[in-house]
Amino acid sequence: MKNTLGILLTYPGDNSDLRELLQHRSVGTLPFGGRYRLLDFNLSNMVNSGIGKIGVMSSSKFSSVIDHLGTGKEWMLSRKTGDLAILKGSSSTRIGEQLKINLRDLIDNIGYLQKFKGDTVVMAGSNLVTCYDFNEPYQIFKKNDADITLIYRENEPDFHSLSNDLFLTLDGHRVVKIDRFHERESENKFVDMLIIKKSVLMQILESAENSGEWDMMDIIADNLTSLKVFGALHTGYINRVTNVERYYTANMDLLDYDILKELFMTNRPIYTKIKDNHPTLYGDDAVMSNCIVGSGANLDGDMDHSVVFREVTAEEGSKISNSIIMQKCSIGKNVKLDHVIFDKECVIRDNATLIGTKDDPIILSKATII
Amino acid sequence: MKTECVAMLLAGGQGSRLGSLTFNNAKPAVLFGGKYRIIDFPLSNCMNSEIDTVGVLTQYRPYILNNYISDGSAWALDKPGAGVRILPPYMGQKGGRWYAGTADAITQNIDFIDSYDPEYVLVLSGDHIYKMDYSEMLQYHRDKRANLTIAVMEVPWEDASRFGLVEVNNDNRILGFQEKPENPKSNLASMGIYIFDWKELRKALLEDQDDPLSEHDFGNNVIPALFEEGQRIFAYPFSGYWRDVGTIQSYFDANMDLLDDSIDFDLTDKNNPFFSNNFSRHPQFIGSDAEVKDSLICDGCVIFGKVEHSILSHDVHVDENVVLKNCIVHTGAVIGDGAILENCIIGTNGRVPADARYIADESDNPSEIHVLNS
Repeated sequence: MKNTLGILLTYPGDNSDLRELLQHRSVGTLPFGGRYRLLDFNLSNMVNSGIGKIGVMSSSKFSSVIDHLGTGKEWMLSRKTGDLAILKGSSSTRIGEQLKINLRDLIDNIGYLQKFKGDTVVMAGSNLVTCYDFNEPYQIFKKNDADITLIYRENEPDFHSLSNDLFLTLDGHRVVKIDRFHERESENKFVDMLIIKKSVLMQILESAENSGEWDMMDIIADNLTSLKVFGALHTGYINRVTNVERYYTANMDLLDYDILKELFMTNRPIYTKIKDNHPTLYGDDAVMSNCIVGSGANLDGDMDHSVVFREVTAEEGSKISNSIIMQKCSIGKNVKLDHVIFDKECVIRDNATLIGTKDDPIILSKATII
Repeated sequence: MKTECVAMLLAGGQGSRLGSLTFNNAKPAVLFGGKYRIIDFPLSNCMNSEIDTVGVLTQYRPYILNNYISDGSAWALDKPGAGVRILPPYMGQKGGRWYAGTADAITQNIDFIDSYDPEYVLVLSGDHIYKMDYSEMLQYHRDKRANLTIAVMEVPWEDASRFGLVEVNNDNRILGFQEKPENPKSNLASMGIYIFDWKELRKALLEDQDDPLSEHDFGNNVIPALFEEGQRIFAYPFSGYWRDVGTIQSYFDANMDLLDDSIDFDLTDKNNPFFSNNFSRHPQFIGSDAEVKDSLICDGCVIFGKVEHSILSHDVHVDENVVLKNCIVHTGAVIGDGAILENCIIGTNGRVPADARYIADESDNPSEIHVLNS
């Protein structure tokens, strides 16, 4: 996929219940799985599929994207054979608008698209948890000389649906109808990943400017007879983080070793920003069961069924279960935590107790002190 | 170009006393404390001492070491006009040959050092675990107007005869040397860390090169020659943690020191970290029936069994029903279902079969260390 440009789409998530975790970031840079950010998945998937030129769309909270990606070295995108651009997304989305793919983001970066000399563009959401090879849909795209290939899932009951989600009606591989959630005629759900000819993308951008229709997917849905649109079925593990419930379950899914293996132990590694931390030190009083743990942590408590990020400390007598504890949190002696999500750098003093539930976990925003 | 002090790190040793840990790997590249390699300690010390030009002298199985040091960016040694350079033996117009001794390794790289036009050369070993600010030693060297300064530490009198010892006067000027003597006259042991005035060292190296009887060794030839000439040679007293990890036992003990709270040498001290070269791995996974305590564990490990008082490098797989106690496990090793291991070192990519037993029982020497390699 050498002549392909990757665009990682932004998902602001401001209107979801994730807002406490999104004060300084968009969903793509939400910390995930002990050491990652959500956008690491599709960024790595693109790199591992052979896409060497990638633009990451960012929202107004772009500093977290820049801080995480840096020069792109960890994704091998700071070399003569690859490069990374951080694109500033449009800030002109109107309130109440629920665009699937906002063409204003692309119009604002038209120079970047024009400069790209290849013929194919891959777009993918930055909030998807999956280890995926874009060469699979690319084969369908090439074989059928398609204008667009949309990646979809069949019958996904757990996949939280948004009102702007799209469902594909297929004739063979060909997409013949695209419906919104409430009018859907099939359970083939578009999962925010697609391949498009660059020339077709440029035409769509031109028509958007003329017509004022800003949702790329609406334009595609309206032109299914003139455009050759195909579907490609995604079959492996996938999760899409759109709210707290999805964020929590996607993290907890990693505690299932089979899912962990599928995501991280393949020949397509998921890259992330590297920290030169010491190995995690487990103390004499540590009691560990079914956890994911990042490096540089110092753990002396009882931890069960939890995701523990880099550089977390937990002192003796602390008991943590069913929780997500982000980087550099510090948990004091005899603290009891169940069903909590702590953003980075929270400090919980000795003897505190915080108990949430699966449906309503306790969320602490960054650097909260209790 | 002018650099005040160039560090030369002697990393050529085979380290044969480390047995199978150095079959494919030079001693300085042997894993230590989980993710680190022995050479991380002197390189991190260089970084923390603002010494930014380091030559690494290497000739025994250098591939892993070269690959690991890479461009030096892991230790912030990738500065223009400075940096870390791997210096293997090479051919010149008059031919070439392997490094014949520690001093010869420097002699063969006089051009490298000259290109930085330094005042001082810091000579380091690649097989010691310690934390030291070399800039303080350099200041001491200047203050004493020394031609050569040797870092020394007090060792227990009963162990003194295992070391190279120095005798000093009240001003710490060195009055004599004893190499592993039967009857030690001093308990100040040389740590193998030297600061030379480059002009004096350069002259001494060229003289040593022409001496057919010389072994071209710092300790046996070059330093005694400087001493005979009456050069100002001083001892720099050091009192922190320092271990030579040249044998299996000392390597094992120094690793286990990292788990001992009473020993003042701590990898987890974030104010004074050691640095290493890392690449991306998944986080540690700990299964439902696992037990993990009193251990250091690196990214990429998967643990289903019991791990106690052990150090696991990257990507170690500990299967169900395994018991690991007092073990050091190197990168990529797989411990099969039901294996019970005590006091073991498991080499890189080692495979321990299911139900293997290496336990110290009464008939065994309880402190015997088993080294298991694939």
